[in-house]
Amino acid sequence: MINEPSAGGGPLAGIRVVDATRFLGAYAARLLADLGADVIRVEAPGDEDAEDGHGAESHFARFVNSSKRSITIDLRRPEGRALLDRLLERSDALIESFPAAWADDVGLDPASLAARHPRLVQVSVSSYGRDRTDGRTDDDLTLLAAGGLLHLGGYPDAEPMAAFGRQSHMAASLFAAVGALVALLDRARLGRGRWVDVSAQESLAQAVEDSVATYELTGHVRNRLGSEPREAGTGVYACADGFVTMVAGRLGTTKAWHALIAWMVEDGVPGADELTKSEWATLPHRQRPEAIERFGEVFGAFTADRTRLDLYRGAQERGIALSPVNDVAAVLDDPQLAARGFFVDVDDAQLGRRIRYPGPPYRLSATPAALARPAPGHGADTDDVLRDILDVEEETLTSLRQAGIV
Amino acid sequence: MAVSPYLEGLRVLDFCWVGAGAFVTKMLADLGADVIKIESRARPDNLRVSPPRRPGTSGLESSGYFASRNSSKRSFSLDMRKPEARELAHRLAASCSVITSNFRPGVLERWGLSYEDVRADNPQIIYLTMPMQGASGPHRSFIGFGSTISALSGLMHLSGDPDRPPVGTGTHYPDHVPNPGHALVGLLAALFHRERTGEGQAIEVSQLESTINVIGSAILEQSLGATIPARNGNHATDASPRGVFACGDGEWIAISATSDQAWRDLADVLGHPEWGEDVRFCTLEDRKRHEDTLDAMVRRAVTACTRDELTRLLRARHVPAAPVNSSRDVLEDEDLVARGYWQRLAHPVIGPMAIAGPPFRIDGERPQLRSAPLLGEHTREIAQDVLGFGAAEVERLIAEGVLE
Repeated sequence: MINEPSAGGGPLAGIRVVDATRFLGAYAARLLADLGADVIRVEAPGDEDAEDGHGAESHFARFVNSSKRSITIDLRRPEGRALLDRLLERSDALIESFPAAWADDVGLDPASLAARHPRLVQVSVSSYGRDRTDGRTDDDLTLLAAGGLLHLGGYPDAEPMAAFGRQSHMAASLFAAVGALVALLDRARLGRGRWVDVSAQESLAQAVEDSVATYELTGHVRNRLGSEPREAGTGVYACADGFVTMVAGRLGTTKAWHALIAWMVEDGVPGADELTKSEWATLPHRQRPEAIERFGEVFGAFTADRTRLDLYRGAQERGIALSPVNDVAAVLDDPQLAARGFFVDVDDAQLGRRIRYPGPPYRLSATPAALARPAPGHGADTDDVLRDILDVEEETLTSLRQAGIV
Repeated sequence: MAVSPYLEGLRVLDFCWVGAGAFVTKMLADLGADVIKIESRARPDNLRVSPPRRPGTSGLESSGYFASRNSSKRSFSLDMRKPEARELAHRLAASCSVITSNFRPGVLERWGLSYEDVRADNPQIIYLTMPMQGASGPHRSFIGFGSTISALSGLMHLSGDPDRPPVGTGTHYPDHVPNPGHALVGLLAALFHRERTGEGQAIEVSQLESTINVIGSAILEQSLGATIPARNGNHATDASPRGVFACGDGEWIAISATSDQAWRDLADVLGHPEWGEDVRFCTLEDRKRHEDTLDAMVRRAVTACTRDELTRLLRARHVPAAPVNSSRDVLEDEDLVARGYWQRLAHPVIGPMAIAGPPFRIDGERPQLRSAPLLGEHTREIAQDVLGFGAAEVERLIAEGVLE
């Protein structure tokens, strides 16, 4: 069995994962790849354009597919599926987002695969769960809507508005990676692989905060709060060079509220004295619309000639949870991230450029995760994988290529 | 009630509280791990005092928010100001496989529970911490919440209308998905490594670094420099029209025309087949150029429809469409209900309440959840079963206020 970790690899060294997803589960396989797994992404021949998409999409594809190898196999043809089967024979996990009815027809459904590969961990990633997705087409926006996150986002006076960054794909992928690891752990005890059936809708429904509990217990349907302050001291506020966000209200400590007022008084901000009155220390008072408005005026006068970074530094020194609303350029310049050596620069030969990636989301002391390589070109590793893993002879390889199967 | 078997035998000493951390250990507990949540009456988990509550209930056992994030755990309450309590925490640490914490750097260290301390007695320990910005660097002691991490990471700035201030997700999103999700992946991978090699380790999840990864594509885009990632509302480069529209019944629908065919089908379903033939709107490029006009046309037409009917008609034509589900809608959503996403659990103070488990099924089944614990509900049984105290000794520790 391929279960011996190789020296110096990540915690998943020696594990092979077949990534047969499109976008929805691709980041799951990326996470496993950075943790040391040999991840082989199976793509359709001639599908390059669809996969690379337009503009921002190609950045997304590049981000979620790095550290993987890419092979092209035409799974519509039996010869292609036979190759996939041989690859699965030599793999530990499959993450897929096949259309369910098609997979049932061609024997790539979870039950058939489990019969042929009993030790294979299978993870299906779909919009609404494998039994509920067929015949529907979705994109990030409609999934955010179905999962309940979209309803909470946006400005109170306008339509609900999506979060940036294909969060349906990220959420489904995160939980697909969790499911894959749970099943890999369980395989040792159980002696067989399990099938994990991840729903993107459900993955987003993890993010509805206290809103479902609120409806259940009080009958109140929470609406979009936007960036408007929810109470004096909590919300997004304008400053000299942009915006800051602050939590010095309900979730913050009373200490933070008093520190904030003391800071403004010390600075001689007009009206700050008024905020020292005892009623301001109580939440019900701070939640009144007039209080929110009055606080906004006083605090606005204070922040108007201060920069995001001045406010950040000053507030944190005083134990107040305030942060700049960073644009991406500011994120890349952040001194904390620089001090921790967070960003990783990678030469992308395909682009002929150096690209900056975020570093891994976690730091493991004994077996660190690391970006192995930039995203592979479409099918870049087909020959290597077929030759080295599947022991396909050169002659056979040529005929497979000529037949358009790989 | 059967405990889910997947992580059976995994014991977790859990110092997590409030948001992100509690979700990590909820997943472990829901999947069958024995999660011992360390609590204190002197300083209860902030969520225990957070709304919502059912009208007429109050106190530390009544928070619906706490109940929704702490299912399947056991609660062990002690007064960490007392030396004997710390001694008991050390003994628990020695007997667990995993320790989790999202305290600020320094808190566990003060209690003699640093990674080095614990490892001395328990070399195979997996030790997870989730500091806001990491345990090193100039901002290591800066404080924050999900919303401020969202702001620092760039996610907030990128979300919203390009002509208005950034709006973010309207929630503490990093606490709900990115940070618990990444923490679980790192933790489970470390467990896998330990299963194979016997080697334990420390895992640090900087909540800022974790959250930046869910907008990773924007970092690449900025570093490549040809375009600058920016707020785009509900628009996207690969679909048009794409937006959220108010229906005649006062509900919202999300629609995305991801292909020329989807656009023609959308026009047809809205009763305007002629739009599909309009030369201004033939290709994606055309539609992006006239997107404001297009949005206004669709907005007007949608007001004549009801949400669920329009969703059904569009889905039948393979046009991406979905109801914008509110907190009430998600409880009744036919997909979530059919798949058993919500489990109705009976809580002794709150009463019956819908709780979500993991967002996946395993071999076609849902793990069976248990209701969140009352504060100190399992103190006695853990003191006896895990720490090996006799009943009389446990009563002494409770009488002396060491245990609660």
